[in-house]
Amino acid sequence: MSTHSAKRRRLSPPPDESSHARIINRDKQADSDGSNITRKAASYTPRITGREKNDRSAELALASGFYKSSFFKLQLDELLNELRPNYDKHVSRLQETLQELKTVIESLPDRPPKSALEAEKELRGSHGITVPFPEPRPGKDTKYTVSYSRPSNINVVGSLSLRTGAKSSEPLTVDLAVTMPNTLFQEKDYVNYRYFHKRAYYIASLAAGIREAEGLGFNVKFGLQDGDSLRPVILLAPKRTDEKEHVSAKFQIRIITAIEDSLFPISRTLPARNNIRQGSTDASASEESTPLYNATLRSEATVTLYHKYVYNAARNCESFRDACILGRTWLRQRGLGSSLYSGGFGGFEWTILMSLLFEGGGPNGKPVLLKSYSSYQLFKATLQFLAGRDLTSPLLFSATDIPFHHGVPALYDGKRGLNVLYKVTPWSYAFLRREANTTVKMLNESRDDNFDKVFIIKVNEPLLKFDRIVKLPSPDCASVLRNLHCQTAIYDVLAKALGDRADLIHIYGGVTEPWPVEAKPNRKLESKGVFVGLLLNTENAARAVDHGPFAEQKEEAASFRSFWGEKAELRRFKDGSIRESLVWTDEASSPSIVYQILAYILRRHFNYTEDDLIYIGDEYDQKLREGGDNVFSYSSPSFQSITDAFNSVQKSIKDMDGVPLTVRQLAPASPSLRYTALRLQGTTGLPCDPADIVLQFESSARWPDDLKAIQMTKVAFLVRIGDCLKSSGVASLCKVGLENESIGILNNAFLDITHMSGIIFRLRIHHDREQLLLERQLKDKGASPLTKQQVAYALSAYKRLFIQTPRLTQAIRTLCTRFPLLSPTIRLAKHWFNCHLLAGHVSQELIELLVVRVFTQPYPWDTPSSVMAGFLRTLHLLSRWDWQQEALMVDFGELDQKAMEAIQTRFSAWRSIDPAMNTVALFVASDIDVDGVTWTQHEMPPKVVAARMRTLAKAAMKLLRDEGYGLDISDLFHTSLAPYDFVINLRAGLLREHSGLSTRFKNLDGRRIAQAAKPAVVKSFARDLQACYNQNMLLFHGDEGCSVIAGLWNPQIFKPKSWTLKLAYSTCPVESKLADEVSINRQAVLSEIARLGADLVDSIEVHTGLASKE
Amino acid sequence: MKKDLEIAGFSILPIRFPSTPAFAKPATHYLYLRAHEPRIPDADTPRSMFIVNVPADTTETHLRHLFGTQLSAGRVERVEFEAVESKQKSAAPQANIMSKKRKRVTADELQAQLDGVELPSTWDRQLQKSGARAIVVFADKPSMEASLKAARKAAKKDTKIVWGEGVEDRLPSLGLQRYLNHEQLRYPDRAELLRTVNDYMTMFSQVAEARKREEARKAQEPDEDGFITVTSGPKLAAAAHEDEARELIEKQKQKSQGLEDFYRFQSREKRKEKQNQLLKKFDDDKRKLADMKKRKGKIAPE
Repeated sequence: MSTHSAKRRRLSPPPDESSHARIINRDKQADSDGSNITRKAASYTPRITGREKNDRSAELALASGFYKSSFFKLQLDELLNELRPNYDKHVSRLQETLQELKTVIESLPDRPPKSALEAEKELRGSHGITVPFPEPRPGKDTKYTVSYSRPSNINVVGSLSLRTGAKSSEPLTVDLAVTMPNTLFQEKDYVNYRYFHKRAYYIASLAAGIREAEGLGFNVKFGLQDGDSLRPVILLAPKRTDEKEHVSAKFQIRIITAIEDSLFPISRTLPARNNIRQGSTDASASEESTPLYNATLRSEATVTLYHKYVYNAARNCESFRDACILGRTWLRQRGLGSSLYSGGFGGFEWTILMSLLFEGGGPNGKPVLLKSYSSYQLFKATLQFLAGRDLTSPLLFSATDIPFHHGVPALYDGKRGLNVLYKVTPWSYAFLRREANTTVKMLNESRDDNFDKVFIIKVNEPLLKFDRIVKLPSPDCASVLRNLHCQTAIYDVLAKALGDRADLIHIYGGVTEPWPVEAKPNRKLESKGVFVGLLLNTENAARAVDHGPFAEQKEEAASFRSFWGEKAELRRFKDGSIRESLVWTDEASSPSIVYQILAYILRRHFNYTEDDLIYIGDEYDQKLREGGDNVFSYSSPSFQSITDAFNSVQKSIKDMDGVPLTVRQLAPASPSLRYTALRLQGTTGLPCDPADIVLQFESSARWPDDLKAIQMTKVAFLVRIGDCLKSSGVASLCKVGLENESIGILNNAFLDITHMSGIIFRLRIHHDREQLLLERQLKDKGASPLTKQQVAYALSAYKRLFIQTPRLTQAIRTLCTRFPLLSPTIRLAKHWFNCHLLAGHVSQELIELLVVRVFTQPYPWDTPSSVMAGFLRTLHLLSRWDWQQEALMVDFGELDQKAMEAIQTRFSAWRSIDPAMNTVALFVASDIDVDGVTWTQHEMPPKVVAARMRTLAKAAMKLLRDEGYGLDISDLFHTSLAPYDFVINLRAGLLREHSGLSTRFKNLDGRRIAQAAKPAVVKSFARDLQACYNQNMLLFHGDEGCSVIAGLWNPQIFKPKSWTLKLAYSTCPVESKLADEVSINRQAVLSEIARLGADLVDSIEVHTGLASKE
Repeated sequence: MKKDLEIAGFSILPIRFPSTPAFAKPATHYLYLRAHEPRIPDADTPRSMFIVNVPADTTETHLRHLFGTQLSAGRVERVEFEAVESKQKSAAPQANIMSKKRKRVTADELQAQLDGVELPSTWDRQLQKSGARAIVVFADKPSMEASLKAARKAAKKDTKIVWGEGVEDRLPSLGLQRYLNHEQLRYPDRAELLRTVNDYMTMFSQVAEARKREEARKAQEPDEDGFITVTSGPKLAAAAHEDEARELIEKQKQKSQGLEDFYRFQSREKRKEKQNQLLKKFDDDKRKLADMKKRKGKIAPE
């Protein structure tokens, strides 16, 4: 076995060592298994159960080594079981139909040679069928003739007969290859579309025959093979009226054409040949080679060859078919398909690639795949090949010296004379490789099995995947060659214009729907349009000045000028150099720089005006500016000034000498100090929380050993610190404030420091003895359960306030500088929670953790480089998070498997302690906080709200999928008040008016007055109400700018109950037969709320429709 | 209709809520009253009334006004409210809980005094929980009985009693002003704060000293059998023990390290253990998969 694997080590291509080792190991695992458990998943389950009684060694082998991936394997087997079509059923059902069809085709009469136009006219006259001649259509002066005669062969090819297909939501497609007889063609037919014109007539004649044949019951349509306008095909779908058995089994038959291998010599269709010589629409193109045309022509000749080839490969390797299913699934999830417009690399190409890789592709032409590989190994090795081998330097199989265009991927199969990747454009190839790379990384990750992300999640969601999307007008031409030419031009220009700002430019979209045989072929690609998806480079995307060539480099400068037009300026830079340059506006009010570039360059080179383009992505940035005090980046002056103020406070606290203890550290512990506060002090008049900071002294024996006395000592310290800071001049005002004043075991006092700049900090003293004292009380056996509950609460509050918040602040600060878009994304996500009135239930830190997860564990995508991608993926994460069953684990850099296991254990423990999820609904842990309940314990949020949160996220994702590119961003942020039982409208004006109210200080100018600490009125009011009506209602509100509080009654209190002292709500007697029954007095409660709110409450709306369901 | 006057031994007193601009609809609130009958009666019990379901904005003034003026029956001496939790979450502790067993009288007295030293409150008015209870202590027993009677009568005659009518001005106002006041009360006067802290700390050291003294005395005083309890050192022995025990365990662990593979049977058992673990893991995985399938349906791409 070991020699076995050693040999393999040499053979397989190692893109990176670790992954390689994994493959080997998997291989071993499969071998030591002694059989092919993985390969025949169908027989897998019974086999295991059969063995269970006498011998568990096989299982043991399977489980050993990678117990983590044994779960992966189990899932994989399930997936394969699920996706493997039932071929026997299909074949038995289709056999008869196909046979009939074959008979019909074989019995069609020949049609004598005629000139193309004449033949077309005749076919239209007699059968009403329009010949789908590809553009350019045959002219009047064409000398060659078109005709029809009996096909030399009719065969079922493709995934059905090879059994390599995978189930999908689309109807099963059966490919029927009709081989056209050689007699129809002349030697020179490979030039100037002659073959394709003859072929189109042939197809039309077949369509005519099939349509008129009796008893077949098909809808006959034309479509395009792989989106290629040169190759129209016939699509046969069973008629709907035929309600026998076809309805249940959705399928379509696709008739494709083939020619004999020897009809045109391979040398004529080599990629570098030019076969469109004259009369072509583009005169300049006539000198260039025509690789796509050639390959299309050649592919007609290889239909049968590849069928046989793949058949052999599948026969040689047992797991080949399963690997095909995996490959197809992987490609489909990423939106890749055989069509020219969806990447040009689909299931068919995957299959061919795998077959070829059995023969070579590795270093020194050694095979990449071995037939003893399991399906997973085949899949992974193929992906590794795609990711690792750059095919823009061509890879030739059984051929030498085939010239290719530069920059075009090539995998040339010499035996069959075809570049397998002939439909793959440079941008599709870059996209394919990037996806392959990401997936290989996912598969190599030792922490997670990533199964979901590789196979289950739909990766092809443009709004989640790309950072920016541009919709271009549909090209006005049906010729695939012209279209590709256009797209290449656009790609080249965009690639040049964006340079290192974009990591990936992908052009996609443009589907031609099948059309009825009577109609003319679609002149236009469907109005879905053509899209350009961009993955931005975070570091470069926002650069305001581009440096071009130096003025002395005459040639380069001239080409730079001709490319950029009047936008190019000659500038002298600080270092004295004079260079061509581009300057973009980077003010907050202007659209993003990428947008400016795109709009400019597309107008300059393609004459697209801004009305032609739809540009998606900037609106999310805009939304954040609107909702978040016009601050976008973490490096903006607003955040900077808070950090600066903090640093100066920190310095003077370190230096202060009027306090008897030495300072150990002053730690930031507030959203505004970790760049995640939605609203910032000093930017608007709305109230903002002061920035929390935590001070810790060096340990000292002089502290009292009693919790309440510690609190009192803290007060004394705070007063002293305040005096020191004021006298040092760093603070303009220091006030000691109280919190939880009636509860001696919680923190009681803080110091509000108004920094000279007007920014307010709230300092609390961290004394680690408190934790010990609390823990000791918790262990105290004599304490009552209630007391213990309170002590436990105090302990968790202590940990949250003094340990976790500073730790999280530090971690997020670091991440924000590493991922510049983390801060804006978090803030937009907070805005979303506010807009949906969840601010009172979901702690800010929880939202931060969710977004951090999107950034640090971005799979199956890359780390987002835009607010749009980051934000929408956060919603995606929320919508998919089954919080009742799963813990969310967030990686701050050191989340490893051990930590994950620890977290999982804690999660299971919480769920078994509190199965009803009364205090912990969400469980979010990270490597810096394995407890996982710091931010979610004590009903933050309660399970009802957690469920609502997920429902909202799901609704957002649904909207996203339904609306697609037309999604209006404000719909995502608009919340409906209809589901609530009652809505308390607050007097917004009053809130704003009084928000500026505070003590006036003579030494502060007007701007600073507005910054004095303001009461969080909405929050306090909601908190008061919630305290009064604890279990009876749930209240929902946003942040301080929000002017509604929406409420839901607890449905359990609607039922009349017999009166007891324990009913903790306002009741009224019920007039019922049963004595002593009371029910909730809702009217009185609402009236009470109005009185409690007094001038705050403008009105209370009651949604009677919902409320009256007693 | 008669049913409505009494429920489970409590008299029902309907009270109209004043209509506000924000909520104009009339609302009737129901108070449930009864003579106070606690399990352990004290001296005040005979003149106390037990009220259930006081409105959330109830204050002592409200109840004084209700019984004194609106029902014009009895003079209220004081009102004891059920403590309202100022925290949002139910698990929040309500009060100081330092109930260590104290045996010495003088120290305990001092301790009680110490507990009485509180930081100033930051709210000008406490709110009551919905459905909360209150005990109203009247000047004397007859005024309590008269009040109860008056309440019954009012309920029977359906007299219109408007909650808090006429006392609004005598109370700290609710709404925005409440929060603005709170914002000011949160920052008590520096002198007051320091005084509280000083008082507390002085008393705290007194308690500590008293306790020490008592202990010292106790150490010399023979008990009734003539024995002297011998104690030594400070009380934090428990914590020290914990640390010591932890260290000991740590040490032992270190000692035994490296000796796991000493005997053959050890490694054999270890291997077996590992195999079993793997098997268990495998079974777990299978269960997990089955569970997942049950939850999400079949495993298929989206």
